[in-house]
Amino acid sequence: MSKFTKEMVDDYANKLLIGLTEEENKLVLDEFEQIDKQIDLINEIPNIENVTPMTHALDNFVTFLRDDEAKTSDDIDDILANAKDVEGREIQIPKVVD
Amino acid sequence: MSKYEATIGLELHCELKSNSKVFSPSKNSYDVTPNNNVCAIDLAFPGTLPVVNKECVKKALMMSMALNCKQPEYMCFDRKNYYYPDLPKGYQITQFYNPVGTNGEILINYDGKEVPIKIHEIHLEEDTAALEHLYNTTTLDYNRAGVPLLELVTEPCITCAEEAIAFIETIIGMYRYCDISEVDTKKGQLRCDVNVSIKEVGSNELGTKVEVKNVNSLSNIAKTIDYEIERQTALAEAGQYDEVVQETRRFDEATGATIHMRSKADAIDYKYFPEPNIPPIKIDAQWLEDIRREIPALQNERRKIYTSEYGLDEYDTNIIIKDKKHADYFEKCIEIGIDAKTASNWFIVQILGYLNKNYLDITEFYLKPEDLKVIIDEINKGTISNKQAKEIFTKACDEKVSPTKLISQEDSQISDKNKLEEIIENILNNNQAQIESYHNGKTNLFDFFVGQVMKETRGKANPVITKEILNEKLK
Amino acid sequence: MSNMNKTIKELHELLKNGEITSEELVKESLEKAHQLQEECNAFVTIIDDANPEKVTDNLLSGIPYGIKDNYSTKGILTTGSSNTLKDYIPYFNATAIEKLNKAGAVKVTKTVMDEFGMGGTGTTGHTGIVLNPWDKTRICAGSSAGSACAVAAGVFPYALGTDTGDSIRKPAAYCGIVGYKPTYGMISRYGVFPFASSLDHLGVLARNVEDCAIVVDEMKGIDEKDMTSWDSKNINLFANLKEETEGKKLCYIKELCDISSYPNADEELRLHLENFHKTIQKCRNLGIEVEEVSVDRKLLNALFSSYIVIYSAEASSNMSNLTGIIFGPRGNADNYIDMIKDHRTNGFSTLIKRRFIIGSYVLQKENMERYFKNAQRIRRLAVDIWKDLYKKYDAVISPVGIGPAKKIEDINKSHDTNTVTLDEYLCIANFGGFPSITIPNGFVNNLPVGVNITGNCFDDSNVLNIAYTLENALGYKNQIAKEVKNNE
Repeated sequence: MSKFTKEMVDDYANKLLIGLTEEENKLVLDEFEQIDKQIDLINEIPNIENVTPMTHALDNFVTFLRDDEAKTSDDIDDILANAKDVEGREIQIPKVVD
Repeated sequence: MSKYEATIGLELHCELKSNSKVFSPSKNSYDVTPNNNVCAIDLAFPGTLPVVNKECVKKALMMSMALNCKQPEYMCFDRKNYYYPDLPKGYQITQFYNPVGTNGEILINYDGKEVPIKIHEIHLEEDTAALEHLYNTTTLDYNRAGVPLLELVTEPCITCAEEAIAFIETIIGMYRYCDISEVDTKKGQLRCDVNVSIKEVGSNELGTKVEVKNVNSLSNIAKTIDYEIERQTALAEAGQYDEVVQETRRFDEATGATIHMRSKADAIDYKYFPEPNIPPIKIDAQWLEDIRREIPALQNERRKIYTSEYGLDEYDTNIIIKDKKHADYFEKCIEIGIDAKTASNWFIVQILGYLNKNYLDITEFYLKPEDLKVIIDEINKGTISNKQAKEIFTKACDEKVSPTKLISQEDSQISDKNKLEEIIENILNNNQAQIESYHNGKTNLFDFFVGQVMKETRGKANPVITKEILNEKLK
Repeated sequence: MSNMNKTIKELHELLKNGEITSEELVKESLEKAHQLQEECNAFVTIIDDANPEKVTDNLLSGIPYGIKDNYSTKGILTTGSSNTLKDYIPYFNATAIEKLNKAGAVKVTKTVMDEFGMGGTGTTGHTGIVLNPWDKTRICAGSSAGSACAVAAGVFPYALGTDTGDSIRKPAAYCGIVGYKPTYGMISRYGVFPFASSLDHLGVLARNVEDCAIVVDEMKGIDEKDMTSWDSKNINLFANLKEETEGKKLCYIKELCDISSYPNADEELRLHLENFHKTIQKCRNLGIEVEEVSVDRKLLNALFSSYIVIYSAEASSNMSNLTGIIFGPRGNADNYIDMIKDHRTNGFSTLIKRRFIIGSYVLQKENMERYFKNAQRIRRLAVDIWKDLYKKYDAVISPVGIGPAKKIEDINKSHDTNTVTLDEYLCIANFGGFPSITIPNGFVNNLPVGVNITGNCFDDSNVLNIAYTLENALGYKNQIAKEVKNNE
């Protein structure tokens, strides 16, 4: 019995606010199986748990911080240009009740 | 006496003061015009990237140190992923794995004692957009999106509402003293989540934790805590403690009760992972030291000095230390040699009275501590009375003239007709015999009366006006 | 008369001497674009009103170029080849575009890609499959499919790409051209749609190494809007470009390059590896030292899964802003959750949705250690091995993919693990942020194949010089795709 189920996949899809077809659901299940097998192989690498995960592409970033200077607001017409429902200076959506 | 005791933990969100937002150069300022302080980054237009504001990091580090927390070697940011219309990116940039401060502790003044409160952590993050609910739609204002927030999380170590309030007041004081935030609750700059559980007195095992989200004023925080303790205790005493479940509730202002929002099973997994667009930022040791040196003496420290060294009472002390600028003014007075109790009296009664009456901030107040000293010195020398001193004080403040100038005028001559009339009236009343002689022809007694006025005013009466009045009165 | 098959330097000379005008170039480029669009479907947008630019001393001035459709272009439709942004017009330019504008380069097309860069086939864009100009029964690979297709077809001398796993370097190989992604952060990512931010690189596709150097010189530079960008003013790729063999040492990885690793190898793979070893021999003949090194097979085979886990996680988060609220088409529903769901369900292709679910799964608290963190640990181990190699070698040389461009019907064909590893392992350069360039090294079944050179971070000049040297020796420079009819 696989640890990945159709219901689980649908639940994840739901949390990501996407819907899946039956076929898509099945493809995901297949991929899970494959990745899981690969991960089993990863776990065979000795002392893998002692390795520090690599989170960024470079090890030696020369970092900088931004000086605290404010810029003027972007043009309101630019900001709203791509929105499909606008009320005054704001974007409008169906009422958020929760 | 209840056989149960409460354990309370707090999460305080406070908006920081800065010119620009924490990850974008938009203005960080409250604005009634919607979407008036926004840029592409705040609305998460595709391809935009966060760039960390140095001032916000500095203030976060300062608060971390002020709370006696441990600072990390690197400033790191993580993503907290969830969907809500107020979160344009679909994630909030925060600090989860390596916050700017951990394991802190501060002493608060509560119930006449110093009580330690343990700080679990403090982290820097961004605020969300504001939703405005209309009849059947909601509109989105992104002015607040990206405003810097500090979230402070205590250990569950607080025992009652009063202690929680004392703690929050101390924290508010620290934010203001360090100039990190104005903590304007009216602008929603302080928001609080309250965690309450109860356990049997003396037990080491914590009870079931109930979280109450987004309580926004000190009085509501106190009400929330009292309500929850009462609710949970009642259930426990009725043998129904299993009805206390791990859940999130909210405080309903209308009824003063807390209401179920969601249970633990519905808890969102935020899928925290390191923000790839912000590399870990090495915190320079020298910078940290410089920031540490900028932390001013805080309320507790000042309280100790005022009460033990200056001999002020707790009540007066608390009035003065409430605002750092007030305490700084007061301390300057002492530094230049004004007696502490005198300074305290003058500050609380005259200065704060004057400021309140005129709706002024101390930064707008004309009189400098040095000016105050001039007045107080004159009282001590006996050259002016207390009453005169207060008049000089008010006049100096109103007219923005130095008290020195006013005192020297006062010193040289009394030209106030009413005042002189009063003095002369007195003298005449006490010298009825001489008046009779004068009216009977001994006119050279006129000079006797002038002499009496001069004597009474130590020679400061304006002779012309004095003679005018005398002539009038002796007619 | 065709000019668009010329190099940047040649075009610049002609423009400078007044033998041609920017207007003529733009006209020719647009015509060719329309023609190619009919044949291969390479473009989301052809900018018919593109304005010629004044010719200056800048080598790029007045010359047309193509832009992958994930670079924000002010006032010009930018879709990421996704239905979720099918009508999105940015009001700002990506930093890289801003820089090319200043150089006087002329943008003439927005090119088709795999949706948001995910998927290496050039088949998942919302405007349809991009066909290979050498053989229209085959793919270009992706995700920079349209850019590779158009440069190979001679629409313009160069086009911009992005590369998260091999998205510049593989389509370049399949189309017989050069694809270069510099060290991570050398070019600002600001304004480019993210796929997996810790792996995303910008770069260029062109028909020779020199053109790549010229273009990246213009695109690169520290940007106050991208905290991961860095100051590269000491790196001048074009000015320092020269043939170098003296003291140069390359290595190749035995486990990847030896035919014995692939007992089920088809003819294309066999010929591809043979051709690769011919290239190695050519290097040696030039006086470049090449050694065979060995890397733990287990680790190599873990690269691809780790790559999927990392990119799926980052992508699922990066694309959470695609809700149809601020930009993109609105979903249909009377509550906001269903509205967003409708937008996302209809907007994303199957592949993206599948990867989102994987990404979300591997980030869950209870799965984080086993999947996401382990994948990042593999990333660490592999990058450390490569960094060790760079102590001894200037670069790692390897074949690109498992042969020439795949047949469209074969893209979902499954392969054994070792073959998959060879096909996908170029993501090592994204893991480590390494500069990496693919150049054409010959033909298999009359179709172009490529070889890749990947060096250490910040060592871009060295990598380019090796590629430049080899390119001149191999003789597949400035190829224009000629349609071939195979197996028919």
